[in-house]
Amino acid sequence: MSEQQGILSKLIALITYKKKNRPKTFTLAEMGEGQDAGNPNTNDQSNNRKKNSGDSRSNNTENIVQDSVKQQEKIVPGKPRRRALKKPFSPSELKSTRIEGDKVRSDIDSNIEVIKQVFGLPKNKDLIIREFQVGRKRRAFIAYLDGMADKNIINMYILSPLFKVQESDLPEGKGLNSSLESIIETNDTKNQDSIKKVATEILKGNTALYVHGLDYFLTCETIGFEKRGVEAPKTEGIVKGPQEAFGENLRTNVALLRRIIRNSNLITEFFEVGEKSSTTVAVLYLRDVVNPAIVKEVSRRLSNIAIDFLGNAGMLEELIEDNPYSIIPTILSTERPDRTASHIVEGRVAIVVDGAPFAMIVPVTMNALMHSPEDSSLKWQYTVGLRAIRFFAFFAASMLPGLYIAITTFHREMIPTDLLIAIAKAKENVPFPTIIEILLMEMGFELIREAGIRIPGIIGNTLGIIGALILGEAAVSANIVSPVLIIIVAVTGLSNFAIPNYSLAFGVRLARFYYILAGALLGFYGIVLALGGYVLMLVNLKSFGIPFLAVIAPKGRKSKDVILRWPLWMQEARPDYLNPLDRRRQPEIARRWAQEDPDKA
Amino acid sequence: MIREGHFGFYEAFSLMTIVLITKLFYTSPMVIIKSLGTAAWYGTLISCGITLVFFALLFSLMARFPQQDLYQIFEAVTGKIVGKILILIFAVYLLYKAGITLAEFIAVLNVYSMPYTPQSVLVFAFLLLVVAMAYVGLEGIARVAYVFFYPIIGSLFLLLLLAIPNYDYCYLTPLLGHGLLRTMETGVIRSAAYGEIVFLAVIINSIHGLKNFKKVGFITVISAGVIFSLCLSCILAAFQYTVGGEHLSGMYQLSRIIYFSRFLQRVESIFLFIWVITSLITVSFAFYLALSSYCRAFKIQNHRPLLLPFSTLVFVLALYPDNIAEIIEVHVKVLRAYSSLILMFIPIMVLIMALIRGKKGEKANDQAKP
Amino acid sequence: MTKQSLSWLLALAIIICLPLSGCYDAKEIDEEVYALVIGVDEGVQNKIRLTFQYATYKEGGGKAQGGGGNGGDEESGEVDGTIVATIEASSLLEGINLINATVNRQISLMHAKMLVFSEEYAREGVAKYVEPLVRFREVREFMRIVVCKGKAEDFIKENRSFIGSNPAKNIELIFEQSKNTGYFPDVFFSDFYQDLLTPYGQPTAIYAGVNDLTQMASDVGTGEPPLRTEEDYEPGSIPRKGGTKKELSGTAVFDGDRMVGTLSQRETRFFLMGIGEFKRGFFTLEDPNIPGYIYVLEIRLAGEPKLKARFANAIPVIDLELSLDINIISIQSRKHYEKLANIPKLETEVKLHFEKGLRETIEKTQTEWNADIFHFGRKIAGNFGTIEELEAYNWNRHYQEAKVNVKVNTHLRRSGFLFEAAPVHSSTTEGEQKE
Repeated sequence: MSEQQGILSKLIALITYKKKNRPKTFTLAEMGEGQDAGNPNTNDQSNNRKKNSGDSRSNNTENIVQDSVKQQEKIVPGKPRRRALKKPFSPSELKSTRIEGDKVRSDIDSNIEVIKQVFGLPKNKDLIIREFQVGRKRRAFIAYLDGMADKNIINMYILSPLFKVQESDLPEGKGLNSSLESIIETNDTKNQDSIKKVATEILKGNTALYVHGLDYFLTCETIGFEKRGVEAPKTEGIVKGPQEAFGENLRTNVALLRRIIRNSNLITEFFEVGEKSSTTVAVLYLRDVVNPAIVKEVSRRLSNIAIDFLGNAGMLEELIEDNPYSIIPTILSTERPDRTASHIVEGRVAIVVDGAPFAMIVPVTMNALMHSPEDSSLKWQYTVGLRAIRFFAFFAASMLPGLYIAITTFHREMIPTDLLIAIAKAKENVPFPTIIEILLMEMGFELIREAGIRIPGIIGNTLGIIGALILGEAAVSANIVSPVLIIIVAVTGLSNFAIPNYSLAFGVRLARFYYILAGALLGFYGIVLALGGYVLMLVNLKSFGIPFLAVIAPKGRKSKDVILRWPLWMQEARPDYLNPLDRRRQPEIARRWAQEDPDKA
Repeated sequence: MIREGHFGFYEAFSLMTIVLITKLFYTSPMVIIKSLGTAAWYGTLISCGITLVFFALLFSLMARFPQQDLYQIFEAVTGKIVGKILILIFAVYLLYKAGITLAEFIAVLNVYSMPYTPQSVLVFAFLLLVVAMAYVGLEGIARVAYVFFYPIIGSLFLLLLLAIPNYDYCYLTPLLGHGLLRTMETGVIRSAAYGEIVFLAVIINSIHGLKNFKKVGFITVISAGVIFSLCLSCILAAFQYTVGGEHLSGMYQLSRIIYFSRFLQRVESIFLFIWVITSLITVSFAFYLALSSYCRAFKIQNHRPLLLPFSTLVFVLALYPDNIAEIIEVHVKVLRAYSSLILMFIPIMVLIMALIRGKKGEKANDQAKP
Repeated sequence: MTKQSLSWLLALAIIICLPLSGCYDAKEIDEEVYALVIGVDEGVQNKIRLTFQYATYKEGGGKAQGGGGNGGDEESGEVDGTIVATIEASSLLEGINLINATVNRQISLMHAKMLVFSEEYAREGVAKYVEPLVRFREVREFMRIVVCKGKAEDFIKENRSFIGSNPAKNIELIFEQSKNTGYFPDVFFSDFYQDLLTPYGQPTAIYAGVNDLTQMASDVGTGEPPLRTEEDYEPGSIPRKGGTKKELSGTAVFDGDRMVGTLSQRETRFFLMGIGEFKRGFFTLEDPNIPGYIYVLEIRLAGEPKLKARFANAIPVIDLELSLDINIISIQSRKHYEKLANIPKLETEVKLHFEKGLRETIEKTQTEWNADIFHFGRKIAGNFGTIEELEAYNWNRHYQEAKVNVKVNTHLRRSGFLFEAAPVHSSTTEGEQKE
């Protein structure tokens, strides 16, 4: 009922006083909160607030953080800046990930335990540990990453020979090694006595074999991720950068990510959504970077979906986003593994749905939607220029027709006289008011667009262009619209395609009609009011507890990759608003070679 | 009680600065230039100085009762009933301010930009947004203020810069205006123009306590004073005291005379942006605070059911004045000159009472930090 | 009916009503015509006679027939893509309403670029007819104020362009010529209005007229033509042929809202220098060494003029100091004035010339009209403490008593493409001694 509230009942709810409990909304818990609680000032304050407030919707952790940090810094000058600290979220959890000694143990159980710890099992569903007995007596196990290793090789050339071997063929002690090497039929095997190296090999896609009693692992080359189905991206095409996109196979998609981030802390968790369809949904994140609260919230939302059928990523997006009524997407969906990977490394969570060639990234902010995957592969100077164009496109795509109608019908004094007379001349034989002209042309443009998708193959594109040209030309010569308007609508349409995010472009298309309406009703006054409302919506949006306009409002730590992109080596910190476990992306000096004397090396 | 949310220094600073400088865009420069002549630009600095003194007093009051906002202090010092009456006075004042600010804005807008649109339509469209802002609450208003702060200040300075060819600073002479005494007198009376800073004490718990309160307060008053003084001196330099004293909205007129070349002229509609947004934020702020004060006085948990009745009140108030003369000569005078009775006098009286009665808040344990 | 569908219905109703409530101020571009020029004459049957010139929306602009001359038709008032219409009314804005009865579309003043008063009208006082324009929101602050000799109506009828078909551009660009020549000031409406009210000085306006193109004497002259280096033409009397008939030249001087006199083209240049708005212009000076020969200089104002004002024995003393940059354009005698040794002499000559001109212009405004169009009052005001004292003193009355010291600094900067030009050699050239 409360979900389906209509506008009237909301209006009525404004008049009648009904006590109702709003469901709590998730806000990201701040890492430093516990420490802040030690600060009596904030503590008392929050108590005070607690007394007053039943539920705390708008937690402001975002800016409490900086302020309290500042306060603390002033009060306790000796305290180091928190940003530099790598703070464990909970000490116990971090301890469990620590491997005591890098050496391979000589008993199978502790080795399994160690491998599980390294790869974050049982949470991580990507690592397969297969236990068996060699020669019916000696315990052994192999470990490999699902999707990264070629299962045929494992089955036929590792497992099958090992199962066939007789106990008598296995000598004790040192002889075992050479005999194992002769049993296993893969092209390359290596002895690894360091857990770290074993992990690296597994991450590459190799298979690690351990037989009880040995003090090393035998790694066999089984690299073979599926290359089938990896195609070039369709909607996020770029010039410079990798040309691969997600496919429909979840395993492949996860493997694509794993190939980019070869890190044992990359966890893949699986959820099943959809009572009838039981669609697998994978959640990927970097265990040592991401804020655990985000992961917890993602898994809470995913495991609390009651729906019968989950067909694609878009459906899931609708089910888990914070503000379903907002016209701006608060989840970034991308078809590019490289882009997904870069977001995972920044401390975000990627959600991949089986059967959908898209990864959803949460939480995101406005600026992430305005970035293109090409941004990081171009020199930063070019990127800055491109971003400027994109922000202009965002502005033009949403407001240009609205501004045009406001200026031509309300603020004619703004138009230079020459142009004004030219427009009036062109409009002299047009029977419609500007608003009808604009709506006609916008409608025509949207029509061409929608039809262009449906019309098969190459004809579609051609028809789109020709349709637009012919329609515009014909409309002008038939005196249905004025030529200036064609320019406006065309620039608007172009700008809309310059917006890098597909969903955001849709949101902007809707917003355009909102501004057209506002401009037609009240001119600039209406547009500015509409803009106020739009910004009000934006500042109240949240993406998994992160304010959608974070960095801008609430003001966060200055980021070096928002509108301007600074050189890569200047971007030292991960986004502040995400509160990642590891705030530091790279040391202060990333280009170490620049500090060195080249002659000494 | 209502959740007001929290926001940082920058949000609070933007919000309060915008609230303080909004009157700059209406009839305020005209009135002040008319009464002070060429001394207007430093007359407002006198008001600013008085306000700083007041704010220091306010701060000492707030410091006596750490972790309490102004309303709680009212109740603590004067007792429950008198305290509630004081809160209600504030609520009524805020409502009045919201209504009259809106009326003044609509009057100016109606004259300059939308002459044929009925006021009720303009007010209605505006109030839709105000209600939406108040629905979201203080945090949302502060964030909107912050998002728009740089564009507003940017376009304000752009306006002043573009009008440079029209300035002649000789027009600031004679330096003393209509005489020093009159300047001082008006400066003191009009310090109410900065009186809104007292509301910072009401929202003190949203801005992380005393330290930020002090910082935000002083910086806001000073920067608002500087902006006022700058704009007034620019209006004087461009229009002289004669014409400057007769334009309904000096700043709007300033944007009308921008003529940089054949192509860059008649841009005043762009500056409509500043007018509307600052008014929107100011009215929303006053409206929301009126609501929340009312809720505080009667211990109402949720302010949202009150939105509709209160917005109706503001609607009526905004349309109440018959003509612009009534707005300028009656209401705005009350708002900018005599409102210090409420805004400044009451807190100071409370401070004196607190001193006499020796009341103090819970022990401030700011120093007892680990 | 469920609550939800009811609410949607209501929302729909509100959305449908919205267009009804808005759009009060909306007006399509082609629903209005934009008056570019407003002319005000003394009326015959009513108080004032108004003339409007507005652009038409016909394709291809005006029907400029042939090589100029008669580009329009007298009956409809069509002039080069614009229409000039005249009406008599009691007030300016009411005149607009009256004329709307004939124009089919609303006349809008928001793009008016020029306000023309006839001279006889300006001499009677313009304040009461300027005031409605200040109040009215459509009127632009940067409309130019022109006072024309003869009737404003006739002047506007001659406001045509033979160069292009764009009337608005035509009008805007003609005022830009003030920067190139300095023969007339560029006076905005906002400045004019401000100067009407101000105690700091007096207003001015552009002085204009119609030239019937008959001023040029017949080709048969008698003997050597005289050398005139100082342009003192009244508007309408410049000897020329071809082009448009309208002429902007000189300055109309006001005392309060009444026009009291005019400055000639030459005086206008000095006036513009005095207020720092002179951009550049060519000056022809007679060569003091060889009579009948001239040299031509391009003069620019180097920086704002420095102005100081003080009272000495209750007499206001004003020091005006300005510096000019000189570029040599032509030396007819081909003498080497640009040489370093000769520069001081040239500079002094120019300096004296300009100081004299400025002084004469200032004296003229003092003695003839007592009108401080130079706005020396801006600086005088600094000597007063309060506005009351300033207004009680009434600078505009005491202007004539002021003693104005003028100082001109001149600097020769460039000499064009040539340096030390070689003399012309002919059979009669006398051998020149090498120095």
